[in-house]
Amino acid sequence: MVEARTADYPSFPLMSINNLTKRYGFVTAADHVSFSIREGEILGLIGPNGSGKTTVFECIGGVAPLDEGAILGNGKPLTAPERNSILFYLPDAITPWPAQSIGWALDFMLGLFGGDGTLSREVVDCFELSGLMHRRMGELSKGQRKRVLLAIGLLMPQPLFVADEPFEGLDLRQTREIAGTLRSFAGPGKRTMLLSIHQISDAARVCDRFVLLSEGKVRGEGTLAELSELAASRGRAVKEPSLEEVFLALT
Amino acid sequence: MRLRSSGFWWLLSKEWAELLSSWVWWVFLLLMGPLVGVSFVSAVHTYAEASGLHGTSAGVGEAFSPLVGIWAPTFSACEVAAVFLLPFVAIRLMAGDRQSGALKLELQHPMSAFTRIAAKALVLLAGWLIALLAPMMAVVLWKSYGGSIYAPEVATVILGHVLNAGIAAALGCATASIAEHPATAAILTLTVTVGSWIVTFIAAVHGGFWEQIDDYTPTLMVAEFQHGLIRLDVLLIAAAFILAGFALAAIWMRLGVAVRRRVYESVIVAVIAIIVIFPSAFARPTWDMSENRMNSFSRDDEQALSRIRSPLRIEVHLAPEDPRRVDLENRTLAKLRRVMPRVHIEYVSATSIGLFEQANPGYGEIWYELEGHRTMTRAVTPEAALDTIYGLAGITPPSNDETFRGHPLAVPPWGATIVFYGVWPLAVAVWFITERRLR
Repeated sequence: MVEARTADYPSFPLMSINNLTKRYGFVTAADHVSFSIREGEILGLIGPNGSGKTTVFECIGGVAPLDEGAILGNGKPLTAPERNSILFYLPDAITPWPAQSIGWALDFMLGLFGGDGTLSREVVDCFELSGLMHRRMGELSKGQRKRVLLAIGLLMPQPLFVADEPFEGLDLRQTREIAGTLRSFAGPGKRTMLLSIHQISDAARVCDRFVLLSEGKVRGEGTLAELSELAASRGRAVKEPSLEEVFLALT
Repeated sequence: MRLRSSGFWWLLSKEWAELLSSWVWWVFLLLMGPLVGVSFVSAVHTYAEASGLHGTSAGVGEAFSPLVGIWAPTFSACEVAAVFLLPFVAIRLMAGDRQSGALKLELQHPMSAFTRIAAKALVLLAGWLIALLAPMMAVVLWKSYGGSIYAPEVATVILGHVLNAGIAAALGCATASIAEHPATAAILTLTVTVGSWIVTFIAAVHGGFWEQIDDYTPTLMVAEFQHGLIRLDVLLIAAAFILAGFALAAIWMRLGVAVRRRVYESVIVAVIAIIVIFPSAFARPTWDMSENRMNSFSRDDEQALSRIRSPLRIEVHLAPEDPRRVDLENRTLAKLRRVMPRVHIEYVSATSIGLFEQANPGYGEIWYELEGHRTMTRAVTPEAALDTIYGLAGITPPSNDETFRGHPLAVPPWGATIVFYGVWPLAVAVWFITERRLR
């Protein structure tokens, strides 16, 4: 099991989400969602299915328009080009360029975004893609495809990597290995990551801090200890402070 | 962090790879050969028979022009392809990105949606030019038979089909971008196409305003080029349609922009298009590129007509569906408009077909009015019209020495069947297999 890091991270946020609200007709999928992402950390957006994680990510990634709120960098609202230069968003459940090979997909994204080509070999090895480079994207299993997409995400030049359900489709062994890989790429001076995870055990394995989301609202933000204190302050103290218990107490 | 700016070339290569990976493109390319082949073989047979093959009376085909006899029917296959195949290639290229989720990744590159659409448009143009190799093979075959080729008129026909393809591709891209699903985009595209045919039908029945609109439907625009005529108004309006279509595609491609804003931007594009199209419809310059000047009076007549400075008014009492009116319009009045900017033509009729107006003594009359003088004739031939106008203007009719002798060719379409039904499909198959193996 990968141990959560305890290193100190800069207190200033790389990016802040301020009162993000998104409605689909009469349904409010994200309701004044606010949280901050600190440089070098892995922040997990935790919530059950239908809690609004993907909606929040689509808005952050610029794929869906916000109804209210803003995405801030250095305290100022980010324009679309500024946001694109800070973060790279990897959606869940996509099969881009199904007729093209993995090698082609990696080359294309590196060429288009100007990512770090020297990392290419390392990332390909980390995700065990060497033997699959000539396979077409459309022919891959769900887990293989997820590994390719995560590899693409890590090769992109933006400092913040935002991935929706990075462990979806992976088995337990792959989840642990990839969690370790993601951890190795994150840290001060390296990459910052914002991951949406619905499996709380997976989140506990990889994230430094957590944002708990339920019914489109943020129920808490912080490390496990901070969230335990928050639960206690609300009169819902947990006996054994695990992320699952804290999540249940706060949502 | 600054991202590299050479993204466009990567995008271009990606669009090309995506085009080559789509089945609809290969089907489209494969069908181009037989489509062109059936038109070309039929046209050459007819041309040969009219030129005296199989004992038909020699001399009938002496006034034959390859433009009308060969190029217009052969290239008409491109029109079929542009209406029924190319839009689906464009829809596949647009909708594929959205359906696979690739668009969500690619849109994060700080490149404008217009640049992205430009990459798609360039690849579609390249694809269309490759497909045009099929009719170009017909040109080579015709030359090998000893047929006459007048390059300007062939180039004009090709220009018309490139513009028509541009409109079809822009329409396909726009509908694919606006609609959530490719099937919806296909239905929208066909609706627009059928809508343009309905306009043509209404114009034939009611004439007037509808006829003016019909002038700018893709079918009618291509018809002008197929007659070797380049009209500035048609060029400008076709360009406006193409740019507006691709602009709409770019606007609706952006996922992270509110629908309301995209609607506003679409309205702005539509308004700009109308602002461009309306004055463009009044652009007069035209160029007759046909070898036999089929869209023009003789040079002597044109010179004589250009000396008439006063406005000429023509009142035609013929119904829209009356064949005499069609004849008069196509063979005389269209030519007259090109040389006499101050001609005003008015069609008068109480019904659309004219069948029940025959008893009306005024039906069939064509009134010409120049400098206060009026005269009437019922003849619809160009010669009669010119004589009437010269008479009113007091000009001596010029002597016309100019006669197009035509290029008769009594040769059957040797080898065309093998080329279009054998060589072309084989070449496409070889390319397809090679491309799949290389990937």
